[in-house]
Amino acid sequence: MKVLQAKNIKKSFGELEVLKGIDLDITKGEVVCLIGASGSGKSTFLRCLNFLEFASSGEIILNDKKIEPKKDDLNQIRSNMGMVFQHFNLFPHLDVMANIIEAPIQVRKMSKIEAKEKATSLLKKVDLVDKTSEFPSRLSGGQKQRVAIARALAMDPTIMLFDEPTSALDPETVESVLEVMKDLARDGMTMIVVTHEIGFARAVADRICFLHEGVILEQGSPAELLDNPQNPRTKEFLKSVIH
Amino acid sequence: MPTIQHILDVFTESYPLFLKGAWLTIQLSLTSLLIGLVIGLFFAFLSLSKIKALNHISTFYVTIVRGTPLIVQIFVLYFGLTDLVKISSFLAATLALAFHNGGYISEIFRGAIQSIDRGQFEAAKSLGMPNVLAYRRVILPQAFLRAIPSLGNQFIIAIKDSSLAAFISMDELFNIATTQGSNNFDQMTYLIIVAFYYLVMVMILSFLVQKLELRLKKSGAT
Repeated sequence: MKVLQAKNIKKSFGELEVLKGIDLDITKGEVVCLIGASGSGKSTFLRCLNFLEFASSGEIILNDKKIEPKKDDLNQIRSNMGMVFQHFNLFPHLDVMANIIEAPIQVRKMSKIEAKEKATSLLKKVDLVDKTSEFPSRLSGGQKQRVAIARALAMDPTIMLFDEPTSALDPETVESVLEVMKDLARDGMTMIVVTHEIGFARAVADRICFLHEGVILEQGSPAELLDNPQNPRTKEFLKSVIH
Repeated sequence: MPTIQHILDVFTESYPLFLKGAWLTIQLSLTSLLIGLVIGLFFAFLSLSKIKALNHISTFYVTIVRGTPLIVQIFVLYFGLTDLVKISSFLAATLALAFHNGGYISEIFRGAIQSIDRGQFEAAKSLGMPNVLAYRRVILPQAFLRAIPSLGNQFIIAIKDSSLAAFISMDELFNIATTQGSNNFDQMTYLIIVAFYYLVMVMILSFLVQKLELRLKKSGAT
């Protein structure tokens, strides 16, 4: 079953065409990693999927329903797509618990008790129960990102989008975040991950897409794409990131 | 110059009058600030709107407030308003000061809202929040926290500026000082005393703002 389909997504910023027609289908439980040099359009593409950016043209179909950005309730659509940002974007004026229960209470109208119970179990999952009442400024990067993941999961999203979740982290905290993401993948979460972590992609991805100058140049299983790339550009890129 | 002993004597004699004046100053400053906060937030939103006409309205207002002397604004609003409708001089003075403070406060809010990282809004949107909710729950609380030092500063200025209401016959602190001073042919003594009252009020306010900032910093919320 297809969870999300992107068809011929194009996006320009002024004169600059960042996405030149990207197609991507993702089935339930699949983990797709997007790799590519910076400027290749990975993040822009991801942001088009939940309408943080509006594609200049193309279609996005969520759960077999074509989304009409002008007509449909995009807030409701976004609430079903969890997003994890490179710079966490936790709410600094709220403690960890409040960060997580904010959207379930305000958007989903969940009761506070229920939201807190759910948040506690999510914090257990990301191994941060002891930080429940800390403010984000007191957390390490890896802890912040795990809270951000828990915050997104609290909305029971049908798909999770990760935008370079470990790029802003100190090396020693990267692993804790990747572990949480691996657990998620194992639990069957549908995920699209923009990442530079080739090791993670190899271990977790069902499919890896290599983006170059706004198109998917090559895609395949980790074994196919990482060990036996066909396109010279893919080879070149992989050579530059795997030391 | 009056002797210190003389000033102290007049101070202990006159304090019931001055406290009454101080109370009016506080009422005047507080109400005009509260109204100014609402006006300020309103115009901050206008200036941040995507609609050009609304930006211009806000720019026009702020330009008038910043570009003309407060005493002129007070006179124009006082005589203008009392000419049109029958309102008390307290209300006229409050509205004039609110109009004035609102201009500066709108700039404070605008700056504070703009200083909030775009990612905060995106995070709120990605969780399914409509714009109004994102502003109310995510952007504005942070903007308020960030605005506290500047607002504190504006509040201090507002307390001192309220002295200009004396010129539309409000019996606030400064008016009491000048009337008492000329009645007793002792201007300097009363001016020194009134300066002291202002100083104490401003120091108390500064202290409270500082404490608030410190508490927020300690909690980790800013």
